[in-house]
Amino acid sequence: MFVKQRSIRSLIEQKVPFDRRHFLWNAGGGLGAIALAWMLNRESLFAGDKQSSSAISPHFTPKAKRIVQIFCAGGVSHLDSFDYKPELERLDGKTFESKGENLGFFGQPGRLMKSVYPFRQHGKSGAWVSSLLPHLAECVDDVCFIHSMFAKSNNHTPAAFQMNSGFTLNGFPSMGSWLSYGLGTDNENLPAFVVLPDPRGLPAGGSINWTSGFLPANHQGVAFRTQSSEPVPDLQTPKGISASARRSDMELLATMNREFATNNPGDHAFAARLRSYELAAQMQSSIPEATDLSQETESTQQMYGLHEAANKGFAKNCLNARRLLERGVRFVQILNGGSFGSPRINWDGHENVRENHDAQALTMDKPVAALLKDLKQRGMLEDTLFVWTTEFGRGPATQGIGSPGRDHHPNAFTCFLAGAGIKPGIRYGSSDEIGFFTAENKVTIPDFHATILHLLGLDHEKLTFYHNGINRRLTDVHGQVIQGVLA
Amino acid sequence: MALMYNSTLILPDCLVLDFGTPLAMSDNVFPMRNWPAIASILLFSSFATCHAARGDVDFAKEILPIFQKHCYACHGPNKQESGYRLDNRDIAQKGGDNGDIAIRPKDAKNSPLFRYVNGDEEGMLMPPKDSGKPSLSNNELQLLRTWIDDGAIWPDEFAGHQRQRSSHWSLQRLVKPTPPADHPNPLDAFIQRELKTKGIHLSAEADRRTLIRRLSFDLIGLPPSPSEVDAFVNDHSDHAYSKLVDRLLASPHYGERWARHWLDIARYTESQGFEYDRLRENAWHYRDYVIKSFNEDKPYNQFMKEQIAGDVMEPMTTDGIVATSLLVCGPWDQAGNSQKNQTQRSITREDELEDLIGVVGQSFLGLTINCARCHSHKFDPIPHEDYYGIKSVFEGVKHGERTIATKAEIDARESLQKSLQNEIDLATRTLNNIESEGAKQAIAKRPVGSVAPGPTPYAKWTFNENEASIFPGELNGGALIKKTDSSRGSLHLPKQGAYFQSKPITKDIREKTLETWVALANLDQSGGAAISIESSNGQVFDAIVFGEQKPKEWISGSENFSRTKAFGASEETASPSTLIHIAIVYSSDNTITFFRNGEPQGNPYQSASPIPTFVAGEARILLGRRHTGGGKPWLVGEIEQASLYDRALTHDEVAQSYRAHGASVSKEEIIANLSPEQSAAYTRALTELQRAKKSLSELAKLPVSYVGVRVQPSTTKRLIRGDVNSPDEEVTPSGLSAIVDLDPNFGLSADAPEKDRRLKFAEWLASDLNPLPARVMVNRIWHLHFGQGLVGTPNDFGVSGERPSHPELLDWLAVKFIENGWSMKALHRLIVHSATYRRSSTFLPSAAAIDADNRLLWRFAPRRLEAEAIRDAILSASGQLNTKMGGPGFRPFTTTEFNATFYTPVDRAEPEFQRRTVYRINVNSGKDPLLDSFDCPDPSVKTPKRGVTTTPLQALELMNNAFIQRQSTHLSERAIQSANGDLENAIDFVYEFALSRKPNHEERQRALAAANERGLPRVCWALFNSTEFVYVR
Repeated sequence: MFVKQRSIRSLIEQKVPFDRRHFLWNAGGGLGAIALAWMLNRESLFAGDKQSSSAISPHFTPKAKRIVQIFCAGGVSHLDSFDYKPELERLDGKTFESKGENLGFFGQPGRLMKSVYPFRQHGKSGAWVSSLLPHLAECVDDVCFIHSMFAKSNNHTPAAFQMNSGFTLNGFPSMGSWLSYGLGTDNENLPAFVVLPDPRGLPAGGSINWTSGFLPANHQGVAFRTQSSEPVPDLQTPKGISASARRSDMELLATMNREFATNNPGDHAFAARLRSYELAAQMQSSIPEATDLSQETESTQQMYGLHEAANKGFAKNCLNARRLLERGVRFVQILNGGSFGSPRINWDGHENVRENHDAQALTMDKPVAALLKDLKQRGMLEDTLFVWTTEFGRGPATQGIGSPGRDHHPNAFTCFLAGAGIKPGIRYGSSDEIGFFTAENKVTIPDFHATILHLLGLDHEKLTFYHNGINRRLTDVHGQVIQGVLA
Repeated sequence: MALMYNSTLILPDCLVLDFGTPLAMSDNVFPMRNWPAIASILLFSSFATCHAARGDVDFAKEILPIFQKHCYACHGPNKQESGYRLDNRDIAQKGGDNGDIAIRPKDAKNSPLFRYVNGDEEGMLMPPKDSGKPSLSNNELQLLRTWIDDGAIWPDEFAGHQRQRSSHWSLQRLVKPTPPADHPNPLDAFIQRELKTKGIHLSAEADRRTLIRRLSFDLIGLPPSPSEVDAFVNDHSDHAYSKLVDRLLASPHYGERWARHWLDIARYTESQGFEYDRLRENAWHYRDYVIKSFNEDKPYNQFMKEQIAGDVMEPMTTDGIVATSLLVCGPWDQAGNSQKNQTQRSITREDELEDLIGVVGQSFLGLTINCARCHSHKFDPIPHEDYYGIKSVFEGVKHGERTIATKAEIDARESLQKSLQNEIDLATRTLNNIESEGAKQAIAKRPVGSVAPGPTPYAKWTFNENEASIFPGELNGGALIKKTDSSRGSLHLPKQGAYFQSKPITKDIREKTLETWVALANLDQSGGAAISIESSNGQVFDAIVFGEQKPKEWISGSENFSRTKAFGASEETASPSTLIHIAIVYSSDNTITFFRNGEPQGNPYQSASPIPTFVAGEARILLGRRHTGGGKPWLVGEIEQASLYDRALTHDEVAQSYRAHGASVSKEEIIANLSPEQSAAYTRALTELQRAKKSLSELAKLPVSYVGVRVQPSTTKRLIRGDVNSPDEEVTPSGLSAIVDLDPNFGLSADAPEKDRRLKFAEWLASDLNPLPARVMVNRIWHLHFGQGLVGTPNDFGVSGERPSHPELLDWLAVKFIENGWSMKALHRLIVHSATYRRSSTFLPSAAAIDADNRLLWRFAPRRLEAEAIRDAILSASGQLNTKMGGPGFRPFTTTEFNATFYTPVDRAEPEFQRRTVYRINVNSGKDPLLDSFDCPDPSVKTPKRGVTTTPLQALELMNNAFIQRQSTHLSERAIQSANGDLENAIDFVYEFALSRKPNHEERQRALAAANERGLPRVCWALFNSTEFVYVR
């Protein structure tokens, strides 16, 4: 638009020798190399470079090109949703025999409590799903449940951080940032990593959940305010500046920047700045277009439950996610639930698991199921990885005697995967007879992440970034790809 | 049995060989009762066959040869498989990378060394079968076993170089290299030698405009004013450049600029992070301390010591106390620290300490000691034990606020406070005495049969006509006052959500009594409170709560049940709408007692955590609600009255209050019944009381800051694999053993006083013999001047960090730094006066072909300004910069309290918001879109080197952010004023303010056309967006 494509081309063709890791590190030396690489990712500038993780090309042929993750904040009870425990029906109201240290957050558990919902089998696969989630129950034949998830922490934020960044601490790059760093984007007019926060509120820790940590800032998740007319801050040209005036301003600026780059040859960052303004101008139209749900048919809107009061905007986010995935966004994270609230606005059913989960499921079930079905009917599930997660489950005993609530439970819980490269209609791993410990095929968060990276064509041991003495990984020093879930 | 082995005479284990039975089995095979008989057999035969009786094994002659023959090939001087070596006593005993102690004296059976060579561990037989080395013979095994069981005595002369100097470059002693002689400036001499060797041509010296702009941004983070530029360009004296450098280094803006760099390294954050992310209102003192330290050119060794132990160094100063904020100014997991699960709580604490050790190790030593929490460092010579030795140094440091006043200041205030309190107590006693006399006189005049009044509460809430509480409040959520008869009323709470909230109370309350007359609408309800006293956000509360833990039972509710325990009283049976009297008494010794209808019920208990102080001006009373923010806190029913006493009532007083049913004699009635003498004394005491109270309330509060609190810790134990449930041996506070010129052993015991640990560590750290701190700091300063360090990984001088591009130069600078008394300003002077620093940024293809990254510094590489510098430069150019220094920061966000703190960025134009960006309150979860897009790091991440990205989001920020539009207008107005309204001149000014130069002819014409068409602000906008503006060359 303002700079001829030739100048970018010439940069690519200009062969500058460099040490790959050093090059990434010394982006600060005036080269802006990472940014350039990010913007030029489709040009495969670094293809064939084996020295370090490639920010450009996958390690091997990926099954999935993009990923959508639903994160249900607060801790969804596996025992009342997907992990059917007949034994717990038998033991309902019985004294809870201690299984070692109490894992709850608030102290001593009460008596055992069976699922507060009836379960039945669904689909050809016969997967058990409770009456809590009738719409997701229709999808079981496309889904691979993992009933043996294991989290490190029984505390919301560290556990959520672990699910989202691999570490229980503040300040580690989120999975989306790693994917942006590892794979770049398929559409430079949209961010590579988009987060769609629940309109009811942010999860605890807020934007820490999608930070790029020590990775370069361009890999940070961009939180779209989908309920606002300006989904990204400062996207719109300020009021009072007409389109034609803005065009003239941009031309003036481009002339200045082009002259500067010409007079100061040799620094790629100066060309990258020119290009960044072109992309910014394109984003000003591509983001509103991507988030404009009025382009969707009435039947699609109804399928997601867009007009139902209970969905409070969450349905919009699910539909938005599909549009963003269609347009090449690498990683869309949809947050279901915020933090705290009275009544709570997440799945943290301490006081009364039924009351709490009833309200949350009403928001989550239909739109998420619709997204899964929609991706399938459009053929997108072939190369889109669909991931449904929560930070931990809830305990088989009540929280305190006589309470209808359940406390946090990190030692066994359920998540599910679907889509690209995933074996559909299976159940992987299991928890013990009361859903307390994992029984078969324990899956740790690093295992889960290793598998996701694998499906996207990345070797979790090779996707590294040097920071303060350590070649950091999403999976720390752990993680094994779960072969049993791969198609 | 094993114990007997070690403590009796029956020691020649080797004798079991005579029975053909491995010893390990013999422990189990022979029942205890047979022991004496067997022993005698053993003794009998021992002298005949065993040459290895107790103390008889000669390490040098008998054990060392075994190691040499069987083990040295893989665990000796030349090779250390798994980090384990048997030529070094320390490592031989402490074990290798797997973290297990290898030799446990007097316990061969449980010593991995013995177990491995004896084949006791499956798959771990040493030497391995395929190694080509022979297994130990039975005799050798017995020798080894006996030696260990005898105490594994390993004489000093064979201890090996237990602290052998690592060959790693950064751990070598600092020696000042001789610079090449061909250049007057040693710094340039080192640089140019390398360039010459590579045959690289240099760029010329930069012009003066470029130099002053470069220097200004580098040293003070702001652009030079046009007049400063002119003055420098036209100063033809020899010392023009030196004068400029001196002026900039003397500017208070210098400290603001360089403090920001240090705050990145210190991972300085002004909120907690994690779940609650609460704002730290009082963290800013540390930021000011850092600014002040740079401005004062505080010697760096002093700067280091203060940040480790400034609070315990003599003489105690406020600066010293504040300095130690470094230890705790990172993230903190409040929820993790307060949860019930012991293991998880311990992990949270260990994570905290890892963060602390990480910041100390990386910032000062350039070593990632934190990597040795679970095992010995993978790359660097940092054994697992060292991590725990250092952890023991900091074990007593915890998060939190405390006063930063010195002891003398605290004492002075305390004594004043005490004397005022005495005066208040005296006056109060006098008043009480007179009042009770007056009350007696009043009651004596009442008709016979009326009730004796109850104790006088500190505050009381009734809902009768013409009665007001001293702390009135608001009815919320459908609460209403219902008339019960013509003048009496009660608080009616008809449904969930209805409650009363008082204004803040005006006295600190700790010891107290909560009391209420309440009628419950039903007995099935759960979790509501009749009366609650809570902190302003509801985080801390004590309340009379119904049915929360168990149905129908009253408890004393508190946050996370931290002071709650069942009273064990019987269930409530009062039929709906029956008024009952409930009181809970909180004594100063933390006893909590429950009364129903005047009588104690169940068992009083000692609270698990102390009764908190509810702070005057913040705490308030809720009726009908347990606490703000809690789930299901509502009580449904009626409250006739509620009282708060500022003391623990006795049983008699509670009973009295119950009988009186709230009846008390009014003040007016009392006063009316006083004699003239009493009345005069009453007035005097009242005046005295008011005066003393006023003085007390005016007594300045001691300043507090987030410097952390200190506790005397229990002894530190090494945690195997870092697992909190696998403690091993006790460790003592120590430094790093890899620094061989210093003794890492501080001579402190495992239970040494907390302050001694940090004092010793600070001395050890800042010793001139420690080769790391000077190397690390000169590299940081170099890095910040040139955009890249001599070592490219400023926080990692270990094996996985980069090696120095100019090792001799680095050492020369480090020694010089120490010689100059660790002066940072002297180091800046040295660097910026070099020809290397003053070189132009011109790109030379021939040089780039050899050294594309400019590692050898053939030019001054252009550098993108950091986010803060961009914002500050814009404010400076537009003339809007508010140069107010220090104090609480500005808040570019609003906060929402919803159990956690949520931050919403706001854009404000008041002067307070136009301060330098270093004064921005920098929180974890509230990001500023403009600064964030320009690579402002997560405050909780230790950031020795900022990323530099170029992104469309960044462009959008500069294009559309309201701040940019506003400053464009200001710059335009400023220029037009300077140019007396002449647009062409104004354009020159705009360029000079923004870019420190005048436009050329073409630029001027272009800008003029744009300004004429769309206004000068649009030209200013373009300049703020321009590459030339955001890059320093």
